[in-house]
Amino acid sequence: MNELRELARKLLADGEVRVVIGWEAARRGARPMFVTKPDGADGLIFDTRCVHNLVTYLNPRRDHVAELGKIGLVIKGCDAKAVAGLLREAQLTRDDVVLIGVRCGGVLEENELPEAVALTPENVAPRCYGCDNREPALVDYLLGEPQPEPPRPAVTIEERVAALDAQSLEERWAFWTAQFGKCVRCYACRQVCPLCVCERCVAEKTQPQWIESSPHPRGNLSWNITRALHLAGRCVDCGECERFCPVGIPLTLVNRKLQQIVAERYDYKVGEDPEIHAPIGDYRLDDEQEFIK
Amino acid sequence: MTDLTDTGAAAPQRYFISEAGLRALAADLLGAGTDVIAPVAVQACQSPSALATAACLRPGAAPVDVEYKALGDAAELDLGRDLPVLSLKQFFLPDHEALCRWHQRGLEVTVEEVPTTFSPRVVLAAKPCDSAALAVVDAVMNWDYKDELWNGRREASTIFNLACPVIDESCFCTAVGSAPDDVKGADGLLTPVEGGYLAEATTEKGRALIAAHPARFEAAGDPATAALVRQAEDERAAARRRVAGNLEIDAASVRNWIDTHFEDPLLASLAIRCNGCGACSSVCPTCHCFDIVDEEEGVGRGTRRRCWDTCQAPTFTLHASGHNPRDDQHVRYRQRINHKFSIYPLRFGEVLCTGCGRCTRVCHAGQDLVEILAAIDIAARRPGEVAAVS
Repeated sequence: MNELRELARKLLADGEVRVVIGWEAARRGARPMFVTKPDGADGLIFDTRCVHNLVTYLNPRRDHVAELGKIGLVIKGCDAKAVAGLLREAQLTRDDVVLIGVRCGGVLEENELPEAVALTPENVAPRCYGCDNREPALVDYLLGEPQPEPPRPAVTIEERVAALDAQSLEERWAFWTAQFGKCVRCYACRQVCPLCVCERCVAEKTQPQWIESSPHPRGNLSWNITRALHLAGRCVDCGECERFCPVGIPLTLVNRKLQQIVAERYDYKVGEDPEIHAPIGDYRLDDEQEFIK
Repeated sequence: MTDLTDTGAAAPQRYFISEAGLRALAADLLGAGTDVIAPVAVQACQSPSALATAACLRPGAAPVDVEYKALGDAAELDLGRDLPVLSLKQFFLPDHEALCRWHQRGLEVTVEEVPTTFSPRVVLAAKPCDSAALAVVDAVMNWDYKDELWNGRREASTIFNLACPVIDESCFCTAVGSAPDDVKGADGLLTPVEGGYLAEATTEKGRALIAAHPARFEAAGDPATAALVRQAEDERAAARRRVAGNLEIDAASVRNWIDTHFEDPLLASLAIRCNGCGACSSVCPTCHCFDIVDEEEGVGRGTRRRCWDTCQAPTFTLHASGHNPRDDQHVRYRQRINHKFSIYPLRFGEVLCTGCGRCTRVCHAGQDLVEILAAIDIAARRPGEVAAVS
């Protein structure tokens, strides 16, 4: 932690960055912190409560963050995949940002706690299971000690997806109809997504209106399927969409299923190398195309 | 519309109703064909099939949420302390509703109106912050235009609140003129006491409900029930003290300060971590802005609907020219604060917030209204001090 605070202080004092975005401990647990003065760096923390994918603040839609000037961003290994996504899609140039990597052994599912607690199968964020990037490589600085593997959660996301897959079409339809039926179309899932970068979302187009804006079953199905497909092969599995959903739609299950399909059909897994193109932005002669009739 | 703030003459007559009696009341009402809306525990990941239920169980998280629902069965009534995820607003201003339907044949267009009268319904165990919000929003719904759909649902509803024990550190109803035992916007109050609830009606509609179900309510007059009355009053006073400990502000100073400090750096820089997602507006019991959309449903026919909208979305103020007067998140967030704590009270005399704390709880980016109001209060009352919202 001291290492992080000292680095942030130095970067700000030397004028290398104008703001360091990390985490602080607030009244209701950890939350994003924007440090603009060297003295403010003392408030930075990194522990198991630091769940947020702060890469969302690099999203080109964040004018009010960009105004602050050059950003120093604290990222975990999983977050680095989102940075790679923005680089891959030319939404960011590497020199625009100073990346401060922190070694991470997993985060909590419920992070609104007054103190950090050790991870257990009951409290670990399920997405941390099988983490392949506890040490981000894309960074300018790498801090902290090497971390152990996160614990296996009581129920893994794979197991939940498999349980759904094992159901009949009618049962799955009933499940997703009930889940999407809760949607109130606040678009929190989109707003918090580090990779929802469109300046004008298809959901906001009215001429023609592709997606009905009423939160009735038809509109909700259109929106949720469109959101998912736009993230296919791009989603970095940070789980922020599900975490921010005020009505608790299990979007992680949709995202994970799409990852599985993309892996199977295109032999592609979202990673930290921005030079490797995602299937959605790439064309290969040997792509599967039997669906074109 | 009827006077919804009528508090009756002398001290209201009190009644005792057991928990079984309350469920029986719900069953009586349902049996008579009256809709009953009440908190219901729902699986956090709903499913009609047991397998999916097991599959969606989230480790470490509570598997149930509480939501206001129209009861199918009186047994569903949840009388616990949890705050429903969405407020009661959805039953008065649904997240989407038809305003009219149109049919076009050749050059002839017919418009089909929607009904604006509703059959009577009863809300049981509403949170006081939710009923109070209805009374606050009544003002704008009856300002230059009388909103028939809102008023129709208000008039059709009899609401009994359940005195709230205070949920957590994000509650602040007493700071904005409400209380955990408020009856504002409601027709009566239930207070938990040993063995059941003390019931009191505060409007004609509330008294009529009690009078119509004499088998369920027992007049509280004898010494045994006098002790229950004291217990209820003590617990309600304790809850008021607990919530007052979360936040105390001078609402008038806050209102005036916001009104005169539009460009103040504090007010213009509150939203640095805000994602602009608008989840706060969706869960807010007082946010009432809506968008009107025409949705085609086949050739020559369609429905005009209104849907919840939010000032936190850039499209809320996007002009046809492409200009957007609220072009960044700080400015949009300032609007949220300004509307709730200055514009609305200046126009209608009441703060557009009842302190339920949902916006704070739902915000995983950490926008914290308790902290923000405390900072504005300091700025308003002690101008020399630096108000800190990090």
